[in-house]
Formats: sequence, C-alpha cells, structure tokens
Amino acid sequence: MGNPALRTEAVWKVFHQEAEEVRAVRGVTLTIQPGEFVVLAGPSGSGKTTLLNLIGGLTRPTDGRVWVDGLELTRMSSRELARMRLEKLGFIFQSYNLLPVLSALENAEFPLLLQGLERGQREHRVRELFQRTGLAGLEHRRPGKLSGGQQQRVAVIRAVVGEPALVLADEPTANLDSAASDILLTVMEELNRDLGTTFLFATHDSRLMERSRRLIHLVDGQIASDQWQEPRRG
Amino acid sequence: MRFKTTVIARLALRNLRRQARRSLLTAASMIAGSALLIFSLILGDGTHEQWIDSAVRMADGHLSIQSPRFQGSRALKDRMPAASRASVEQALRQGGIPGEVRAVAPRLAVTGMASSAAGARPARILGVEPTAEAAFSLLDEKVRQGRYLRPDDRLAAYVGIGLLEALDLKLGSKFVLTAQDAGGEIAGQLVRVVGTFRTGIPEVDRSLLHIPLSTAGAWLGCSGDVTSLGLLLSSSEQVPQARRSLQQRLSETRGTEALGALSWRESLPELDAAVKIDDFSNYLFQGILFSIIALGIVNTVLMSVMYRRREFGVLQALGLTPGQSASLVLVEGLILTVLSGTIGIALGLSVTWFLWGEGLDLSSMMDNEWTFSGVVMEPVVVPRFRVARMVQGLSFIFLIGMLASLYPALRAMRIDVAETMKFER
Repeated sequence: MGNPALRTEAVWKVFHQEAEEVRAVRGVTLTIQPGEFVVLAGPSGSGKTTLLNLIGGLTRPTDGRVWVDGLELTRMSSRELARMRLEKLGFIFQSYNLLPVLSALENAEFPLLLQGLERGQREHRVRELFQRTGLAGLEHRRPGKLSGGQQQRVAVIRAVVGEPALVLADEPTANLDSAASDILLTVMEELNRDLGTTFLFATHDSRLMERSRRLIHLVDGQIASDQWQEPRRG
Repeated sequence: MRFKTTVIARLALRNLRRQARRSLLTAASMIAGSALLIFSLILGDGTHEQWIDSAVRMADGHLSIQSPRFQGSRALKDRMPAASRASVEQALRQGGIPGEVRAVAPRLAVTGMASSAAGARPARILGVEPTAEAAFSLLDEKVRQGRYLRPDDRLAAYVGIGLLEALDLKLGSKFVLTAQDAGGEIAGQLVRVVGTFRTGIPEVDRSLLHIPLSTAGAWLGCSGDVTSLGLLLSSSEQVPQARRSLQQRLSETRGTEALGALSWRESLPELDAAVKIDDFSNYLFQGILFSIIALGIVNTVLMSVMYRRREFGVLQALGLTPGQSASLVLVEGLILTVLSGTIGIALGLSVTWFLWGEGLDLSSMMDNEWTFSGVVMEPVVVPRFRVARMVQGLSFIFLIGMLASLYPALRAMRIDVAETMKFER
C-alpha cells in the first residue's frame, strides 16, 4: 500500500498574543488516504485554518509531525517546503486569489510553469480542465472579467493541474452564491471521482459538509468527531 | 526545481504596467537623472581633456622622456646625451607604442638670466627645434608681434610679452642670456627678438623664451643633447598604456636604460589634482542626485510589495521560494531602473550631441582669458563621447536599481504567508 496523502501525529500549534497563550491546535492526529473527499468542520476559532496552514507548510507546528505523501514537513527548510508545496499540494482560497496580471489560462498553468513543463504539455492539460469545468472559451480573460464562481473554478484548476497528492481548500464556497457553490462542488466531486484528487476542506458550509464522505469536527483545536457518511448527491 | 527566469520577468513587467502611473513617474525621474549624469560626465570629460591638452602642449607633453633626476633637479647635468636621444628617437620611429604619437619635441631647458640695458630678469630658456615645436606646442599660435622661430634661425629668440616689457625690448632688439653651461661655467649668449607671445598666464609670459636648439646646444656646450623629449598623444586616455610600453622599450634599448617616461600626471601634479577634485565633486553631486532618485525607486517598489502582500503569500503557497519572491521584486526594480536609465542615457547623449556636439560656448561667462592651474581655459567646451563612460553610467544605474530594490525584496522574502491570508476572513 502507498503512502497516505496526509498524516499528522499529535500536532500542536500555540500562539502567544501579548501575555496570553492561545492553543489553536491541540494534539491533532489524523490520516487521510489518497482519493478521499474530507471536510473539516467546526465553529470559528476552532483551529480549522491553522490546521490547514500546518498541513500546507505555511506555518510550523509547535509540536508534533506532519507528512504529506510520505514526506515529513516538520524538518524541511523553507526552500524544501516551497518545493513540496509545488509538487505535492494544491491550495484553494476563500477569495480565489488569482494573480490579476495573468489571464485565466496563465493563472491555471502557473504551477506547471514553475515546475518547468513545456508549453505544449501545459496547454494540453489546462485546456482539458477548462473544458471539464465548463470554462472553455474564457481562457484569455483576466480574473477581473470573470464572475466569482468562474474565478474559483480557475483556482480549482490551478490547485489540481499539477496532480498534487492533496488539495487544501479553505472555505472555498464562502464568497459564492448557492448556484455557483453548487457548480463548484460538482466540479470538485467530479475531479475527485475521475482523477482521484484528494480534497481536504475547511468550511462552515453545510452543503459542502453534506456532500463529503468523511466529516471531521474540530472543536477548540481538537478532533471532536471523525465520521464516514453517505454523501448527498448534488 | 527548474525555475523559469522568464516567469519572473513576465510577472515583473506586468506588475510594472499594472501601476503604470507610479512606474512612469519613477521612470521619469530616473530618465532625467541619467540624462543629466551622462551630460555632466561627457562634458566633464571634454573639459578635462581640453585642460590636459592645453597644459601638456604648453609643458612637457602627455609623456616626457628624460632622466628621472631631471624632474627634481632641472639641472643641465641631468640631461639626456645625444647618443641616448638618438636611440630613443630611433625606437619611436620604429613604432609599436600604443596610441597615436602626434608630435615629438626635443627640448633643452635651462634656467638663467635675460639681460638688457634696462636690467636683468630670471628666465626659463627653452632650446627647441622650431618645426617640431610648432607641431607640439601652442606657443607658436600665441604670437603678438613678429613671428615664431624658423628652422634656419641662429641667434633668434621668441620672448614672452611680460619679459619683453620688463627688459624694455622691442622686436629686433638684442639682449644677453646667461646660464651655467654643461661644464659648470657661467656662459653668455647674445640673441635677437624675432617674435613675442602672450599666453595669458602671467608667470609664463614674464619668464619663458624659446631659442633654436642648435644655438642653445652650442652656447651651453652640449650640442645634440636634450633635457627631455616630449610626446604628444592623440588622447590622454592612451597615456598609461603608452607609458608602460615606452618604459619597457627604454629599459630594453642599449643606452636608454637610465631614462624614464614621465606622464603628465607627474609633470603637472597641480593639474592632476585639479582634474581629480573636479571629478570627485562631479561624482559627489551625482551620488546625491541618485540617492534622491533611489529613494523614489525604493518607495515605488516597496509600495508595490506592500500593496501585493497577499499576492506574494499566494505565490509562495503555490511553490515560489522566498528567494524567488525576492528576485521577482529585484527584477521589477531593475527593469524599471535599467530601462529608464538606458532611455535617459540615450536622451542625454542625443541632446548633448545635437545641441552641443560642436562645443558648448561659455565665452559670454568669461571676461577675458581665464587661467586655472597654469592652463588657459578655452571658452568652448567640446563634449567627449566615450564608450567606457556609457558602460560606467549603465553599471552605476544597475547598481542603484539593485540597491534600491534590495530592501523591498527582503520584505517580500520575509513575508509570513499564513499571516497574509488572515485578513481575508
């Protein structure tokens, strides 16, 4: 059997705010296998985003260890972390965070450009994903000329185009109306089903929770429940 | 990870275009500064070359071949014997000295007295070969009365106007020169005024006079000998290389081993200092100007980094290393400065070329002749265009761009990715 997409072992993150000590993540141990579609739910301040940042190597844990696709992040240099993020992880943010100076196609192919893929290979892969996500014809538009839902779909393509071991999505539907959210979730479900992309979401969105196969509740930085469920079809 | 430089260049260019007004304003200051830089450099070079050319032609040339002791003693005992002179002239005729030797002037210099019925005055007496000297020196062009020396002249003297007046002489008057000869005895020589000159430098006009070299040699008992051989090159830039080559040639040639090649910097130390001080003040002014421009660039690039903090966070989340983030900022700063700097240099060159290519006339600012450090200043300054200056200018601009972008680049490098994402909630 191959490596899990993600493994964390007793991960802690403690912040110091003035004299106060904030324990944002408290000893989280978690394993996600390749191809899973997992939602991390919990109230505001429960530590969802901090845990996602720890898994993405954007923040270093106070204690504990994190592996992505078998690679331990906790001992990596910032340069190695950057390389790991490029090759093993995809990110989807609440505010899409596309680069405004690049077209939709250039944004989507950006990780491949950094990986040094030839233009032909890049375009082939990206155009196929544009087709699959219903964005064909919008490749050359700048982000400002796309709707929120379209921008977030471009962000999804950017996250999955490098075929990462794990895609981390932080509140991906929070800025979208229900119709756009629905389209986006369907797109991600299809990518999960057809390409085997592993997704880990942090969300408040009940529609997203209902459509996940595994729902983890985080309360006060700890896993309160971790259950498998029959997803509702979109 | 194979990282494409083109990605950074493309992003940098588009980011500059994104804040077009801010970029253009910064570029405009850089263009103006670079144009001014190149204008002042080439005009300064032109001025210096004019100073040097005037001075070396009035003095011992760009290079002066003489006994190393002569520069200090100025005594006839430290002269160059006729045999050595012949060897040097032979070596010069063979060529191979880097740079173009425009003229060679053999001179026999001695300090003595000039006496007439009106009295006696100290005099700097120069025995010269009239044809060679006319090609070398500017003195033959400064005639006030009469004419310059001719090759067939024997007892002729070309006298400074100040000395002429002090001795109450006229054109055609006879007077006596007295100096210590080669044997250490006091010897006298009667000469006749054939011409007078005025350089505008009082100390020269009051003391200098030219007589034929053959007359001087016979009078002082050292026919054929000289105290120096002055070399006039086509440019002062050629001096260091020509000097090295000449020095080597002298050391390898039999009979000239004891001679040295003195550059104008050594024979005219005041002028050397004046050029260096002028260069320094020019560099200081440019340094202050570009420090102000650099602050503008720091502001533009830093504002751009602060405005795009989230973007840098996203880029690093996508796999850009902190170093690559910094290089993106550096490239932005460099594109801005090098591009505008190059435009500025081209503009500075064009404006100088078209407006003052033939020379910048400052005569309206000068009352009469203006002398400085023993040099008569020409009222028209001709700019001097040198590739080396363009390269220096560009390198300086590149350095300014690099330094000005360094701090913003460090800020981009040290961005806390998780922190930049925080405020979206």
